[in-house]
This record gives sequence, C-alpha cells and structure tokens, in this order.
Amino acid sequence: MTIGPEIHPKRARPLPFVVAWLLMLVLAAVSLLTAFLGMGNWAPIVQFGIAALQTSALFILFMRLKGPPSLKWVFAISGFLWLSFLYGLSMTDYADRRGWPPIQATSGPGFEARQNGP
Amino acid sequence: MPASATVRPEIQFATLEQQGDTAQLGMWAFLVNETLFFGALIFTYFIYRISYPHEFAVAAKDAVLWCGSVNLAILVTSSLTMVLAINAAAQGEPRAMKLWLLATLALGCIFLLIKGYEYYQDFQDKVVPVVNYEAKPGEGSAGELFWVFYWVATGLHAIHLTVGIGLVLYMLLWRIRRGEITPAYYAPLEVVGIYWSFVDTVWLFLYPCIYLVGRS
Repeated sequence: MTIGPEIHPKRARPLPFVVAWLLMLVLAAVSLLTAFLGMGNWAPIVQFGIAALQTSALFILFMRLKGPPSLKWVFAISGFLWLSFLYGLSMTDYADRRGWPPIQATSGPGFEARQNGP
Repeated sequence: MPASATVRPEIQFATLEQQGDTAQLGMWAFLVNETLFFGALIFTYFIYRISYPHEFAVAAKDAVLWCGSVNLAILVTSSLTMVLAINAAAQGEPRAMKLWLLATLALGCIFLLIKGYEYYQDFQDKVVPVVNYEAKPGEGSAGELFWVFYWVATGLHAIHLTVGIGLVLYMLLWRIRRGEITPAYYAPLEVVGIYWSFVDTVWLFLYPCIYLVGRS
C-alpha cells in the first residue's frame, strides 16, 4: 500500500472542536461526581469508560484520525490491539494464580498485622 | 525572499502532501510505542489496586484532588487551543496561529506550575516514598505502592509535557519565524499537535487512577 499524494482538506470550522471540548469538560465533571456517589465497584468502570470516551474524541477529532492519510487507522488500531494483547495475556497469568486477588479482610485475625506492614 | 516561498519537499518525497502524510504516520508509529509504555504502567497499577483495594483507597485520599481536576481541565483546553492554532496555520492566519500557540504554551506551563505546587504539598504530607514517607493508619505497607505509581506516572507525564512545551517553543521560535509553516505545508505543527493531544489522553487515564480513588 502506498501513501498517495492526497491533498489535505481545508481545516474544519472551529465549532465541532469547541463543542467536543465542552463535552469533554462536562464528562470530566461527571467523572469527578461519580467518585463521591458511593457507587462501589461501578465507579472505576464509569470513570475509565468516560476517559475512553474523551480519548476517542481526542483521537478522532483533535489528533485528526479522521482524515487523510487513512493509513493512520492501521497504526491506531495496531496500538489498541497490542495493548489488548498485553492486558489479555498478562491477565491470563494473574487470573490463573491461586489466591488472587487476595481476600480483603477489613477486620479479623491477621488484618492488624497486614496493616502494620512486614 | 521569505523562506515560505522556498518550501520544497525533501528529495525522497514527490510532493509536500506526501511528506506531511509521512510525518504524521511517523508520529503515530511513535505513539503506538508510547501507548504500550503507559499502558504497561497502568496495568501494574490495576494489578496492585485489585490486590490491595482498601490500602489504595486509604492512601489515595491524600492526593490533592483540586490540583488533578484543574490540571485535567487545563490540558483538555490546551488541546483545543493547539488544534485552533493548526486551523489558523491551514487558513493562512499567522497572527492567530501564534496567539493560539502562545495560549497552548501558557496552559502547559500553568499545568507544570500546579503540578509543582502539588509535589510540594505531597512532600509536606510525607507521601514521597524512600525520601519522606509516613504510612497513614489503615493504609499498611501497600499504600506506599500507590505513591510509587503516583510519582513514576506523574513524573513521566510531566517529562512528556515538558518535551511538548519544548516542541511548541521550537515551532514558535524557529519554524514559524523562518516562514516554514504555511497553508501549503503545516505538517510539522500538525505532528506536534498530535503529540500534544496524546499527552493529554495520558492524563485522562491517570486522573481516575490517582485522584478519584477512595473519595466516597
């Protein structure tokens, strides 16, 4: 595949970027709010989901993933794939480990000692 | 004769467009490596956070929330000013381009100043592993792992942002002054913009890792 002499289109009007910026700030505020709502294990899921949404907006709009050269998508997707391999293969190790994740006692025998360190 | 009138593609490229596309692809290839670099770091964080959720929640309460939150807004805004600078370059508005770049530069410096203040606060709070660390009640020895991640991750991020500031300065003081950024060829600025926004995305993920843990 060759990189063709594609002509760069005229830059888009600023409005979509301003709207995306405002949305990212609103999403950041929502992310901050979720930290205080007592959502338990759902809080990090929502927070990292919001971070992923914001990242998508930055990648596609601000980092010009949308637009020529389209070969950029191959690089972006390969980064995502390699990261998936890294996380997936590493988790197969951790998921197979006996006693992981450790049981998190908040009281009872041994807890005091663990809190005080080795 | 202004330098802008003499911008020609390098000998290995047929056109300026091809040269610009190649520059963009080079930056994306670099960013794939950066993604894996920060991705591996954040993976270790997840492993330890899953292993020691209580200790991490207690330790993270000492992170200065307002610093992290304001810095998030600053970085997101700086991505906007950067893209507006590139827009101005594409439309042949050098004055607007310089102003937006100066705004980007200022926002980057404000980020680092707030980060410096936060580091000072962290030192006062005795959360600097090895140098000045005092375990809080309930965080145990695993709480220190959180702070090791904090210093490594935010330190690496600050280094990347400093490089970004250097690149923006290089654009302002060298490439633009020499008339090398024109509507016909603004790829160098675009490449710096891609890098800048990537540094922004890293903070988007560090923010929930560090500042939003154990708040409720």
